[in-house]
Amino acid sequence: MNDIFKYRAPTSRAELFGLLASHGEGAKILAGGTDLLVDIRSGLVHPELVINLKKVQDFSGLVWSQSEGLIIGPATTVNDVLHDARVREYYPLLADCALTIASHQVRNRATVIGNIVHASPGADMAPGLLCLGARVRIASQRGEREVCLKDFFTGVKRTVLRHDEIVEAITVPPDTAKSRGAYRKLKRIDGHDLALVSVAVTNTGSAVRVGIGAAAPTPLLVEGLSHQDPADVVVAAALGVARPISDLRCSKEYREYMIEVFVRRLLEEVR
Amino acid sequence: MWMSVEVNGHIYEREVAEHWTLLRFLREDLELTGTKDGCSAGECGACTVMLNGEAANACMVLAAEVDGATIETIESEAVNGELSEIQAAFARNYAVQCGYCTAGMVMSVRELLRHNPKPTVAEIKEGIEGNLCRCTGYQQIIEAVLDVSGQITNETRGGLRYV
Repeated sequence: MNDIFKYRAPTSRAELFGLLASHGEGAKILAGGTDLLVDIRSGLVHPELVINLKKVQDFSGLVWSQSEGLIIGPATTVNDVLHDARVREYYPLLADCALTIASHQVRNRATVIGNIVHASPGADMAPGLLCLGARVRIASQRGEREVCLKDFFTGVKRTVLRHDEIVEAITVPPDTAKSRGAYRKLKRIDGHDLALVSVAVTNTGSAVRVGIGAAAPTPLLVEGLSHQDPADVVVAAALGVARPISDLRCSKEYREYMIEVFVRRLLEEVR
Repeated sequence: MWMSVEVNGHIYEREVAEHWTLLRFLREDLELTGTKDGCSAGECGACTVMLNGEAANACMVLAAEVDGATIETIESEAVNGELSEIQAAFARNYAVQCGYCTAGMVMSVRELLRHNPKPTVAEIKEGIEGNLCRCTGYQQIIEAVLDVSGQITNETRGGLRYV
């Protein structure tokens, strides 16, 4: 790590938002650090100031309530979600997604919100959260706003987040709790690897949704399907929005083929 | 930045460069060189240490972040020259060849056994999936974990296939 930067660990929201507002693009948020510190080392980002948000009070919370659903905080780690009894009861799909991320010691540090904010097309938490109708609560010194997760991503590693803003929470609504859901991630090896392509499917009892990763510049959501739609219709809808590329990991055609295979298998599981 | 951290039972109070990683701090400042630097990107697990009781890649943590934390490194395993039970099981099962991955492997196994004293082969593989070994082979390492958790005998040692 050659870059020299300053480090601050604010303990209040006001202090955090003040630092972000005064440092502009020179400041970077450090949550789990599993993307940021690697990007700094690789020379992809050159922050003047790194702001650790893990010391801000209440940021590590993972809260569930019947009225509001699940609220994931900025410092909630992937393993916090993976091992949470309420997640396993109400949104087991999220635990399935969490288990596919990297390795055990990376999951101990990496945060769920970091996985979303980094906005990799293959972000493993994205297909499940998209299917479950997650919303993103954004906060800054200027106030708060909320967007649907499907409107949060704007491109490869790009989101609607401005430089002075953070994602303060990802909320998963109570009406998708206990939906049947399943996730498949295609990898080159059984262990720690990025997705070649990934698919999540949920069935609320009436609506079927499909989330797709690594098949477009952003994670994708296919909505408007009924639980009575035949598999061919769901496959056609998924392939209608997917626009994968060929890269060093596999070809466009293989990705399309595996999206179809996964959609068919997952539909059987959630029927 | 001035910070205080507990490493292997000793409290260290130090001025630390804010851009240093925990890995660099352990190796270059505290001279605890048992923790290895492999990929510096969270892929290989050679730098795995325990941070507040959980395995973490020291290459992806800033030293400044561990202010007030408790760290355990491979140097906490052997006491007065006596290998820990995990280290002894690694030696007994030929689970060390070049040794570069061993420090990180032992730390991952330490956390695994704290949560799960009798892991299955599948659970062991999940526990060490963040630790790459390029020469010993995972078979002997998995057998060492089965051994230290009382699931292997002299008769069954070396019998694990197709891991």
